[in-house]
Amino acid sequence: MSFLYEPIGLSHYLAVGAFLFVCGIVCMATKRNALGILIGIELVLNGAILNFIGFASPYFRDENLGLDGHLIALFVIVLAAAEAAVALAIALNFYNNHATIDVDRASELKG
Amino acid sequence: MQTLLPYLPSLLAIAVLLPLGSFCAILLGAQWLGAKGKFAGTLATTAVLASTVLSFFSAGIWFTAHPAGAVDHAAHEVPPVITGHGYTLATLAGTNVGINYYIDALTIVMFCLVTFIATCIHFYSTSYMHDELDDVVDQEALLEDGESLHRPGRYARFFQSLSLFCFSMLGLVLSGNYLMTFVFWELVGLCSWFLIGFYVERTTASTAANKAFIVNRIGDFGMLVGMMALWGSLGTLNFGDIDQQQGIFSQVRGEENHYALKVPDGMVRLAAGRQIEALALHATEPLTTEQLAAKVNAEMPVWREANLGYGLLIIAGLGIFCGCVGKSAQFPLHVWLPDAMEGPTPVSALVHSATMVAAGVFLVARSYPIFLPEVLLVVACAGCITLLIGASIALVATDIKRVLAYSTISQLGYMMLALGCGGWAAGVMHLVTHACFKSLLFLGSGSVIHAVQTNEMPQMGGLWRKMPWTAGTMLVGCLAIAGIGIPSVFGLPIGLAGYYSKDLILEQVYAFRSENPLWGSFFFAAAAGGACLTAFYMFRMWFLTFWGEPRAAKRFDRAHESPRVMVVPLVLLAILAVCVAWPAFSWFGLPTLSRSIEQARPAGIWADMHGALWHITLPEESKGHTAAVTSPVGLIELGAALAGIALAALFYAWKVLDPEDVSRSFHPLYHTLYRKWYFDEIYQAVFVRGTMALAHCASLLDRLLIDRLVDGLARLGVGLARLSDLWLDRQGIDGLVNWFAEQTYRLGSALRTLQTGSLRQYVMLIVASTVAMFLLISFWTLALTG
Amino acid sequence: MLFTLVNHLTTDTLASLVGLGAELVLCATIVLILLARMFQLTQRIDSTWLAMIGTLLALMVLSPLTPWDVTRSPVEMVSIGELPQVELFTGMLVHDGFGVMVKTLLLVFLLLLFSLIKLTKAHGKADSPDFTTLLLGATIGMFLMISTNHVLIVFLAIEMASVPSYAMVAIRRGDRKGSEAALKYAVYGAGAAGVMLYGISLLCGLLNSAHLPTMAMRLSELTSAGLSGSQTVLLVMAALMILAGLAFKLSAVPFHQWCPDVFEGATAEVGAFLSVASKAAAVALLVRVALGLGDSVDPSLLATVRSFLAMLIGVVAMVTCTFGNLAAFAQTNMKRLLAYSTIAHAGYLMMAVPPMLALVGVDNAAASQCAGYLGLYLAVYLLMNLGAFAVVAFLRDTMGSEEIRDYAGMIHRSPSVAICLSILLVSLIGLPPLAGFVGKFAVFGGIAQGYLATGDTLLAVMLLVGCLNTAVSLFYYLRVVKVMTMDPIDDEAAPMLVGPGILQRSYLWCVTLPVLLLIIGWNWLNVWIQAATSGLFS
Repeated sequence: MSFLYEPIGLSHYLAVGAFLFVCGIVCMATKRNALGILIGIELVLNGAILNFIGFASPYFRDENLGLDGHLIALFVIVLAAAEAAVALAIALNFYNNHATIDVDRASELKG
Repeated sequence: MQTLLPYLPSLLAIAVLLPLGSFCAILLGAQWLGAKGKFAGTLATTAVLASTVLSFFSAGIWFTAHPAGAVDHAAHEVPPVITGHGYTLATLAGTNVGINYYIDALTIVMFCLVTFIATCIHFYSTSYMHDELDDVVDQEALLEDGESLHRPGRYARFFQSLSLFCFSMLGLVLSGNYLMTFVFWELVGLCSWFLIGFYVERTTASTAANKAFIVNRIGDFGMLVGMMALWGSLGTLNFGDIDQQQGIFSQVRGEENHYALKVPDGMVRLAAGRQIEALALHATEPLTTEQLAAKVNAEMPVWREANLGYGLLIIAGLGIFCGCVGKSAQFPLHVWLPDAMEGPTPVSALVHSATMVAAGVFLVARSYPIFLPEVLLVVACAGCITLLIGASIALVATDIKRVLAYSTISQLGYMMLALGCGGWAAGVMHLVTHACFKSLLFLGSGSVIHAVQTNEMPQMGGLWRKMPWTAGTMLVGCLAIAGIGIPSVFGLPIGLAGYYSKDLILEQVYAFRSENPLWGSFFFAAAAGGACLTAFYMFRMWFLTFWGEPRAAKRFDRAHESPRVMVVPLVLLAILAVCVAWPAFSWFGLPTLSRSIEQARPAGIWADMHGALWHITLPEESKGHTAAVTSPVGLIELGAALAGIALAALFYAWKVLDPEDVSRSFHPLYHTLYRKWYFDEIYQAVFVRGTMALAHCASLLDRLLIDRLVDGLARLGVGLARLSDLWLDRQGIDGLVNWFAEQTYRLGSALRTLQTGSLRQYVMLIVASTVAMFLLISFWTLALTG
Repeated sequence: MLFTLVNHLTTDTLASLVGLGAELVLCATIVLILLARMFQLTQRIDSTWLAMIGTLLALMVLSPLTPWDVTRSPVEMVSIGELPQVELFTGMLVHDGFGVMVKTLLLVFLLLLFSLIKLTKAHGKADSPDFTTLLLGATIGMFLMISTNHVLIVFLAIEMASVPSYAMVAIRRGDRKGSEAALKYAVYGAGAAGVMLYGISLLCGLLNSAHLPTMAMRLSELTSAGLSGSQTVLLVMAALMILAGLAFKLSAVPFHQWCPDVFEGATAEVGAFLSVASKAAAVALLVRVALGLGDSVDPSLLATVRSFLAMLIGVVAMVTCTFGNLAAFAQTNMKRLLAYSTIAHAGYLMMAVPPMLALVGVDNAAASQCAGYLGLYLAVYLLMNLGAFAVVAFLRDTMGSEEIRDYAGMIHRSPSVAICLSILLVSLIGLPPLAGFVGKFAVFGGIAQGYLATGDTLLAVMLLVGCLNTAVSLFYYLRVVKVMTMDPIDDEAAPMLVGPGILQRSYLWCVTLPVLLLIIGWNWLNVWIQAATSGLFS
């Protein structure tokens, strides 16, 4: 608990990142709405991005990830956006075929 | 001409292959041979004529390169030989087996002889066989209902077989090793089978063909034994030296030994097996191969003195001679030749008088260097007996072709007798002259048969009025075979062809007699008596056929002279029969027959040969040419011939004595002669029935014992298999496999249920799996580290 | 400083671009197709042709037998055995013979796939520009996967290869199954990628570098200095998460759930692409990551890391191939069966990596030989799987069904197809004398070699499990063969009015004949692949 009293350092970034990650996973695993699942995906990715930023900061540690981390974060942001776009299109296609967005109804393929 | 000498083998090879080409062409091109195949005759004749031209051309080349000058008996010259390698078929056990050639003066003479006579006979056959051009009604081939057979003509087939025969015979003459000889030997026998059985629907003809082939095969068995003996001990079957490899002749009569006959190293080594082993074992230290070989070579003369390997050489020689006994119809395998007269007359003329039966004599002449005196004595005995048998049976035969067949047997006996007594040149010369006049006689008889449509002499008579040309040429033939000529004692020896050869034979036998009184007297008496008998039965035949009054009027009326195509060969052969052996040719620079043959005499025959096991001496030939021999012999020969002719005239021409009376007085003897000394009956009872009985026993053994055993084993095996199939396979193994498959399927189906199709569950499982794996790994590392 | 930076970047970039020739050609092809669509040329020329030309050009630029060596100036071609391993773009990518080899296989596969698309009716001319662009884009992503040297590229490449695949599965708009499959694929893929990214972030943070060789160096320093408990936990966790992403791409158990559904929902052509190309790229990526982290200047320091990785990959591989083979038993849909077969073969592919890890440091030459065996298996697998999916595609065009029971009596209806499919299925089992045996034998031989050299029991167990699985897989492959050849034509089965045409059948035979004949002369392939992988280990 001591980290709640310390100045903001690496562990805080990592904690928030982990929290986002877990939220995202839970969201992905439990939501019935396809768009909700996509939101979960975004959360997961953002959690990871936060991790990268934290590790890359030269102010928290002497040995750090450096510019690599920042660049990775930028790339992942863009990638997440692209992926979200495609996923949305696929969700729309699904809606056009099934007239619903409930992923539990998407269980014709099994076995 | 000299420059063409290297091409000599190729020229002779082409001469051999031309008839083969004709054979193939007639065989394959049946539809282009004109109506009924008339063109086949032209094709075959052209091929053989071309071969003749090539043979004479080759003769010209040869005698230009190796002139056959006057024979100088003192100078022991090795005969010129061209040997060479044509084509390797295989390399077996280190030796090359292939097509080789061996060309000497004997080859050249045989080539010219065979091709010339074959050409004459081909021309003759084109006319003689003309009734095969249309459908034939064969009076002698009767069907079950007694009707005569109607069949299409077989003109082309005749010339096809004739061409194949020419090819085989020429190949045999050219061959340079025993294997090739054997192949062509068999091929010649096969062609003879075809040709004897030409009128295959006649049971007599087909039986005769089989008889000829089978009897020949009996002889060939002996020949194979001889060949094996040679190959096994000497490692080669080549006659001459090819590519620096010694042939058989060089190994038996080597140059270093002045070409005297000695048992070759290979045979001595083979026979001295035990001694070599003893050498190797008794050495103080182990010997290398070279040391052992050196020791063996040192001991070789000692072993040779002890006559090791002598027996092997005798076996080799007897084996080869055995083949010749079969092919040349010597006693005891002479029974096939008279029956072979079932074939058409041109076949009898070409195959069974001039060429094929002479092949045996040719092989004896060719293999002469390896024959020991013991072997040659056997040859002479066989020849002697044969000549007597043949002459005696010919005295009473009534079928004109049978007379000639027995005459052939008798004359072949003469040749063998000559060769066996050491007279190489005499035997070969008689071969050549015999071919000429015997083929003439057969062709003439063919003319007669063609004219009167019967073979039986009692139904002929007085035909000289109707067929003067035939009668005249046949008279020439008869005179030739009787050996009529003016003996040398009266100055210049001049006579018909048979005179010279028979004279040489009797001279040689006379010389032999002076060296070996016991054998020689017997041989000489037989030979002289045989000459008398020969003259008698030949003129008996001539008188019965052409002289006197016709005995069957209808046949006489129908008789006519043969067309020119048939008469011209008769005349040509008659000319040949007269002058082929004249020594006068040397005046014009042409090689005479005797000088050509003398040139081919094998090296080493110029000395007397002494037998080691049996004490006989074979005199060398020049001893027979001394005046002390030629004078009495010439007179005896002329006397015998004239006596025979006179006796025949008494019986059949002037009808002073009656042959019927004589036959009745000597009835048992007559009957024996008429039944051909009962040879056929004896062979039938002993060999044929015996073999059939043996076969029957073997068949019984097979069916009752062996078949039952094999069937029983098979049934046992099937029963065992069924048992194991039921128990082991179906219940055991199948059960196990099926159970295993069943379980796997259940597991697979169970696993399918994992895939629920629900997306949320999939995502949940991602996380769950990661966590589970983490836990697993932690527990695992904990367990490891403690 | 800016000046030097720009200078450094430009010289390095320009030099590196030459090593990226094939990718650039493919990019140009994409641009060309899009431009063609813009100028309405695609109505006259089918963009599949343009794509094929582009692929051929890329193959020529890649020049697999004598690739370009960028270390020399001017760049020149050298034989593939002499190609040195060189880092491009300041260490982001790596260019070596192994990469060239796998890229060649992918390009050849792409050519064959384009021909298949031309011969089948599922992807028509209207969608062709989009479809080919997606294919080419996914291929570029796969190329990056093969040459990766940096964690960013790992993630980027995976995403670049996967996202077009999501779209390709969904490309037929009216297809119910396809849309469901695409949704599952997209969500699952994104989820797995997200988990992987988190793991990457943890690993990078721990090792303070995103460049794989540098990470390996740091890791070796860390392990030699001694790992604390929390560090170990973190490392293991990160490794597992990264594995989740890699395993997703490889459809390895337990991250395979998407595979059967996606294959059943997508068209057979897309299925072929996913089954072959993405597996090949994924296993190449696995090799890069495992060796990148497990091999450094002094390999002995990373022995524990390597053994951990080897065990992880080995166990996952064994479970994967067993699961894939068992679950395929009761399948009724041909594509689903092929999906499980793909999972099983992914297991076999993964089995080629642990011996590599085991032999590093012990016998580097043998380790690169194991990489060669993997390449050989990939080459053979490419043909077999493509053939099988091609058959499914042709029969779907003529029969309209993909159920196995509708294949009954195929030997009478279309003997060519039946024979080809039988040959391909038997080859997938790995029975001699077909090509599948060559691949399996190579991989198992590599495992045996590794076991004999190191005595690692994991390798022996892997070999045993692999062989058992080959035996188990006999059943479901041969069941299809039996249905095709021995079952009578069912009255209720889907009717086949005309069989596949002459072009389709000749395509099948073109793919099947090498499978048949490769056993006679496969040495040329082996020699090239071994030369290519010889430079993999320093």
